[in-house]
Amino acid sequence: MNTPAIHIQGLKKRYGKGDTAVDALKGVDMTVAPGEVIGLIGPSGSGKSTLLKCLGAVIEPSGGRMEISGQAIYDEGWKTTDLRALRRDQIGFVFQAPYLIPFLDVTDNVALLPMLTGMSNSLSRQRALELLAALDVGHRASAQVSQLSGGEQQRVAIARALANHPPVILADEPTAPLDSERALAVIRILNEMAVQFRTAIIVVTHDEKIIPTFRRIYRIRDGKTFEEAGEGRQV
Amino acid sequence: MINLASRDILHGWGKFLFTGIGLGLLIGVTLSMAGIYRGLVEDGRVLIDNSGADLWVVQQGTLGPYAEPSNLRDDVYRSIAGLPGVADTGNVAYLTMQVSHGGKEVRVMLVGFESGKPGQPGYLIAGRPVMRSHYEAVADEKTGFHIGDRVQIRRHEYEVVGLTRRMVSASGDPMIFVPLKDAQETQFLKDNDALLNERARTAANPAFNRPNVPGLLEAVQASQAQSHQVNAVLVRLTPDADAETVAANIRRWKHLQAYTKVQMDDILVAKLIATSAKQIGMFLVILSVVSAAIVAFIIYSLTMNKVREIAVLKLIGARNSTIAGMILQQALGLGMIGFIVGRIVAGLWAPVFPKYVLLLPGDALRGFIAVMIICALASVVAIRAALRIDPAEAIGG
Repeated sequence: MNTPAIHIQGLKKRYGKGDTAVDALKGVDMTVAPGEVIGLIGPSGSGKSTLLKCLGAVIEPSGGRMEISGQAIYDEGWKTTDLRALRRDQIGFVFQAPYLIPFLDVTDNVALLPMLTGMSNSLSRQRALELLAALDVGHRASAQVSQLSGGEQQRVAIARALANHPPVILADEPTAPLDSERALAVIRILNEMAVQFRTAIIVVTHDEKIIPTFRRIYRIRDGKTFEEAGEGRQV
Repeated sequence: MINLASRDILHGWGKFLFTGIGLGLLIGVTLSMAGIYRGLVEDGRVLIDNSGADLWVVQQGTLGPYAEPSNLRDDVYRSIAGLPGVADTGNVAYLTMQVSHGGKEVRVMLVGFESGKPGQPGYLIAGRPVMRSHYEAVADEKTGFHIGDRVQIRRHEYEVVGLTRRMVSASGDPMIFVPLKDAQETQFLKDNDALLNERARTAANPAFNRPNVPGLLEAVQASQAQSHQVNAVLVRLTPDADAETVAANIRRWKHLQAYTKVQMDDILVAKLIATSAKQIGMFLVILSVVSAAIVAFIIYSLTMNKVREIAVLKLIGARNSTIAGMILQQALGLGMIGFIVGRIVAGLWAPVFPKYVLLLPGDALRGFIAVMIICALASVVAIRAALRIDPAEAIGG
């Protein structure tokens, strides 16, 4: 059996202490295979963002275990002291808004990540151009971010998330600002990239348009996840 | 690695440039203040150097002739000229006054000098030296006078026959050189009404108007209408003479005060312009603090406008040093633009100042280092704020 890209067991997160403590995650279990795109859905305040922040090594869980590509990154405590390097090398992020760096052009927005790992500028830019071409925005490589449409910006953001070939991409409501057509296009791209780069992609959403496209869904409610089969509709 | 600071600057170059220009004008004012101080010192030193003297002999117990009033009899020079080590002497009279010319008032220092003696103008840039005994003048170009101009000074009209340069008083007033006798009359001689009044008073005094002493009253009145005072005697020494020794001889045997060049420099720089220097120093400190506060505010604002970008950078793995470096480089870039603009504008508006503004390369270098240090320190607040930004801010919820 393939090693899962993400394996989470009994993940907990408690905010605050004593009487005012709030348990945002109460033992979350989740497994995502390489190349798989799953949906993480749930109402506001259910713990979606908390789970995403724990997975993104942005906040520290209160208990449980997390593995990326078979390696424990958290087991009742972080297994690495360099969370910055963990995020840079193992996790890609796609946000609700593209949040591209406005003072960098399209290529450098993508190339910045490999450069942060120490890769040379020319190799980083070459990789960025390949990714932009794969995402069908190669023709906008030298454009400024402000010159792109919303859909193009989101594709550049996906290229940036893929730039270091991470085993995991966390997408936080990536289709929220887009119309149906563009939203489905983004999901199609994510599916294609997941297969092409063997990347596990967790898409946090409550966008009804795209929920039927997932083969597997984790529904999160009151800090716990419930696995469901999705429709897996082709886009 | 991409230089994030330069990319950000290029992206918003207009805002950055105009901010830099604004800061530059402030730096220009700061550099000008330093230049004004240097100008004050330089004016004092030029006054000493251009007088052509090695010693200044003045009234005992005074710091004359530039810092305090000093009066000497105009024949004192004879006894000084005979001292060992003295090559030449020259009587001088100094008087600061307003001169009207062409409907404009000019503040000048009137200098009475003896032709060919210490105290005469150092060099001319136009015209000829004073050759007649009366009513000719050589003026510093800063007076705005031209060759052939006729200038009214008290009762008499003087023709400007020569122009000189950088001959100003310690307070920056341009000099007008006239024959000593004319300057003595201008400085010491009373007007006609005052003379008539003085004569009447003297005639009414029985001590001077004795019936049995013919000629006494006339002699006293005549002495009141004449002036034989000068402000200082400038002394030029022989090449082998020791200035301090000759000065000591004058103090010891002539009962006069004598200052060497070093002492006169100390009087002019350390005493005469000390208050102005402190004033300018205070301005420099205040301007530096204001500049630092402005740079800090600008850099802080620029950084706080990029909270989301910084959060994203931290989330995707950018080091703290990368983010701190970006902010520091922007602060230094702003300082660099500000300094260049400041140095240029200080150079452009320096000639417009009524007093001499001396912009020394050393001061510019010190100013540049100070600007860079101030900008680096000012960026600390913004860097601290940026490093406190939580990468989680890039993730919603």
